[in-house]
Amino acid sequence: MTPATVSSFRPWHLFVLAALAASTVVILVARPSDPVVAVLLTLAIGAGGFVGLMTYRTIKPLTQRDFVEATTMAGSRTRAAVEREKTLVLRSLKELEFDRAMGKVSSHDFDEMGGRLRARAISLMKQLDVQEVDFLPLIKRELRGRLEAAGEDPEAAAVASSAPRSSGDLVCESCETSNDRDARFCKGCGKPL
Amino acid sequence: MASLGYFTLLAAFVVCSYAAALCVAGARRRAPRLVESGVGAFYLVMALMLLASAVIIHAFITGDYSIRYVDMVSDSAQPLFYQITAYWGGLDGSIMFWVTLLSIFGTCAVYTNRERHRELIPYVVAVISVVQMFFLFVMIVHKNPFATYLTQTPVDGRGLNPLLQNFYMAIHPPSLYIGFVGMTVPFAFAMAALITGHVDDSWLRAVRRWTMMAWLFLSLGLTLGMIWAYEELGWGGYWGWDPVENAALLPWFTATAFLHSVMVQERRSMLRVWNMTLVILTFFLTIFGTFMTRSGIVQSVHAFGQDTALAIMFTVFMVLLLVFSFGLVIYRLPLLRARNELESWVSREAAFLVNNWVLLFSAVFVLFATMFPTLSEAVTGARLTVGPPFFTKWMMPIGLILLTLTGIGPLLAWRRSSTSNLVYQFTWPVSVAVATGAGLYALGFRVWVSGVCFALCGFVVGTIGQEFIRGAMVRREATGTDLFTALVGLVARSRRRYGGMIVHVGIVLMFLGFAGSGYKLDSQVLLRPGDTHEIGHYSIQYDRLSTNTDDRKQMITAHMTVFEDGVNVGGLTPARWYFFKHESEPTTEVGIRHTVSEDLYVVLAGYEVGDQAGSFQVTVNPLVNWIWFGFTVLALGTGLALLPESAFAYAAATVPAGTATASTALLAAALTLSSPTSVAAQPLGLQGAQQEVNIPASALEIDLRRSLVCMCGSPGCGKKILAECTCVEAAATRAELKGLVAEGLTRDEVLRFYVDKHGSQEALAMPLDEGFNRLAWLFPYLLAAAAAVALGGALVRWTRHGREPQLTTGNAQADAEFEARLDDELRNLD
Repeated sequence: MTPATVSSFRPWHLFVLAALAASTVVILVARPSDPVVAVLLTLAIGAGGFVGLMTYRTIKPLTQRDFVEATTMAGSRTRAAVEREKTLVLRSLKELEFDRAMGKVSSHDFDEMGGRLRARAISLMKQLDVQEVDFLPLIKRELRGRLEAAGEDPEAAAVASSAPRSSGDLVCESCETSNDRDARFCKGCGKPL
Repeated sequence: MASLGYFTLLAAFVVCSYAAALCVAGARRRAPRLVESGVGAFYLVMALMLLASAVIIHAFITGDYSIRYVDMVSDSAQPLFYQITAYWGGLDGSIMFWVTLLSIFGTCAVYTNRERHRELIPYVVAVISVVQMFFLFVMIVHKNPFATYLTQTPVDGRGLNPLLQNFYMAIHPPSLYIGFVGMTVPFAFAMAALITGHVDDSWLRAVRRWTMMAWLFLSLGLTLGMIWAYEELGWGGYWGWDPVENAALLPWFTATAFLHSVMVQERRSMLRVWNMTLVILTFFLTIFGTFMTRSGIVQSVHAFGQDTALAIMFTVFMVLLLVFSFGLVIYRLPLLRARNELESWVSREAAFLVNNWVLLFSAVFVLFATMFPTLSEAVTGARLTVGPPFFTKWMMPIGLILLTLTGIGPLLAWRRSSTSNLVYQFTWPVSVAVATGAGLYALGFRVWVSGVCFALCGFVVGTIGQEFIRGAMVRREATGTDLFTALVGLVARSRRRYGGMIVHVGIVLMFLGFAGSGYKLDSQVLLRPGDTHEIGHYSIQYDRLSTNTDDRKQMITAHMTVFEDGVNVGGLTPARWYFFKHESEPTTEVGIRHTVSEDLYVVLAGYEVGDQAGSFQVTVNPLVNWIWFGFTVLALGTGLALLPESAFAYAAATVPAGTATASTALLAAALTLSSPTSVAAQPLGLQGAQQEVNIPASALEIDLRRSLVCMCGSPGCGKKILAECTCVEAAATRAELKGLVAEGLTRDEVLRFYVDKHGSQEALAMPLDEGFNRLAWLFPYLLAAAAAVALGGALVRWTRHGREPQLTTGNAQADAEFEARLDDELRNLD
């Protein structure tokens, strides 16, 4: 029942294949005279395959040994929920500004309602900020993995990518824009370096 | 196949209970494993229901008449389309279809919200599963669609009710059911919020789109039902206040109220208990509507018949439902306290409150009037009828009030409106209204209800136009583009607000259609081939009667030529169809000539094959097509408000927009503008037609025709008022009535005559105002008074709080860095 050993082969592939095979067999055996009936039989068997897949989906979480939650949390809630609420609060603020411009909210009321919304938005932003730190090691690990896969030395690449910015940048004499080391003309004013 | 289907239903029931149990256990023990498995089982129910549906459709198409249900509603001569739609053509199948739709809808809702509202999902799954379990239980123990005949298998089925063999009727139930089951999703989220205690606004956000979608389908279902009644029942109208129609209308009222009061909660954190109550009521009313039409407690054109066992099951379920949900509300009451109070009656909040109050009044009133015959029979034992005139008397003013509110609401400011502000906002809309009214009066339109309605329509259009133009001007200043670009940007940005405005436009158009019926003309004539009948600026020439037969029915068709102002504009072919095996219930195929301004509507009421004479009901319905057109606009507006736009879309949809969908409720309330005003309809000249049978001679006779109902009891008539019914018995009663009036009887004496004749007041369109029935007349007043007292009490309580919760602002002011970032993000957001 669990063909997940082959990485590219997903459970639903099995059920789709099984349903297709079953409907082929049924139609060959039954030989319905009416094409509508054939279509219906196929659909019914398709629904049967779907039932199988969903049964698998029901049983899987119970039997899986290393069941992990895929969602990231921010505080007591999922990150998606917090992000969504932030967008909503920002929208509400925008909308409130619009209402004031339309004369639907007096400026005193605007200050009061807007203040509340701003406070809420800021607290949400803080909540999200705390969470963002946790992404850093993940990103680093991912980058390292990719660079290694591409055959580059991660350390060297890191040095190479950070080098130009930290060491000798070319600073334009006339406009003081910093340019790449191999630049021949300033990207700020166009004068030759 | 039948046992496979039955087994699938059993399995679905077991899986449902598994899903509910695991989700609750998982949520309580904080075991995501269990919850995940429960959610999986919930999806599995959908898969099982799809399988069961495939099985039953297969039985229909292959004509497996050993299954009782298939035998009952299908036969081999039916076209493929009706063989498939027969699935929901009867009681058993419609319950199964209901569960299927609920499982699909529920799965979609759970799937899209599984991340965003993780804490609520287990209980949402549990609640929906329990509702599904109830319906599955009903099917398994009592109404099994897969039940087979034990002995002889019929060779062919009995066929679908001919009235249901109409395109609109085939798609009307699904859309209505989607609307009904859609209301389960908000209910489940509300319950989950109450159980978990997460009663902030997040559950509202999760359900608003689902409510809107369900609301859209409910509106679509109602409109399709109206079109069906108009085209298939053949009495010249579209809404007869039949119990089944009312059953669908009740949740529509409360859902509309909810869509409005949500905005108050979002912006002002008020009405939290109220919103909860509305969601519960809406769901309850969908179940109640199902109960009403399926248990036979009320008489109706399209109820499914008497069934006591079913009635008991539903009653138990509804009682449990109410106790459980309101028990939870009371339990969580401390968390649901309002954070603000109403500060002025001249504010947006107050307008929404009044709107809610009127909508709820409509719902309770319609419920009461629909149930009154049952109530009266239980108390006094006498049967009676509460017909369209009674509904109209109340719903017409309510419709007009709602229409007015549609115009006023968007103009008011939140919290309070100053006088100068009011003048600034109201000048233009009021001028438009006055100009419309005066213009119509000058042009000679003198039916006052319709006139007021037209003027109010002008007012609402003025309001909406002003909102769009001023909004575009504000945006033009902000973005520096031209007016048109600003307008497009405006609508694209706050879709919910302007989608709502467009919905209002749709409502206005529908009201135009309702008001148009004030200028309706109708007449009944007996014509022989060659005769001509004139009505309005039409002249109809009756040519001949033909009889044809195809493999399913016999068709009697009248052929007529229509002249408009003397010009031949084509033919009409009203007909009667006699479906085989259903010969006693001929269908009426109406001949309609649609134009933008009016419909010419001809019904073949009776005929004499021998001398080719036919009696016709001819009606001119002004503006009626605007109702359907208005619905299209309404659907477009709702679609705009619903448009997904990833994160931004959600944001736009949440914005406490002005009026979105405001007072859409008008729709039904105003359906009523129809009947009473058409008294103005005078049968015009009838040259050449040898008929005197049915032309009312006096105002008294016209009045009486509207005060009595047809008592023939055939399913096609369903107690239509006498003036509109086309059956033979109604014609005979009209003739009898003419005689009585001619004898000089007064109105009361005639009514008395019919009460004595039928032994009860059942023949009267409205019960007499005496004895127990006085309650029917008093009730709306009592209701309105009680609601006003409750509203006043709430107001006093709110305002007495003073302004103690002057908000927790200020404390976040410290973070200058965050303030700057916030401003930045706000600037980028557009």
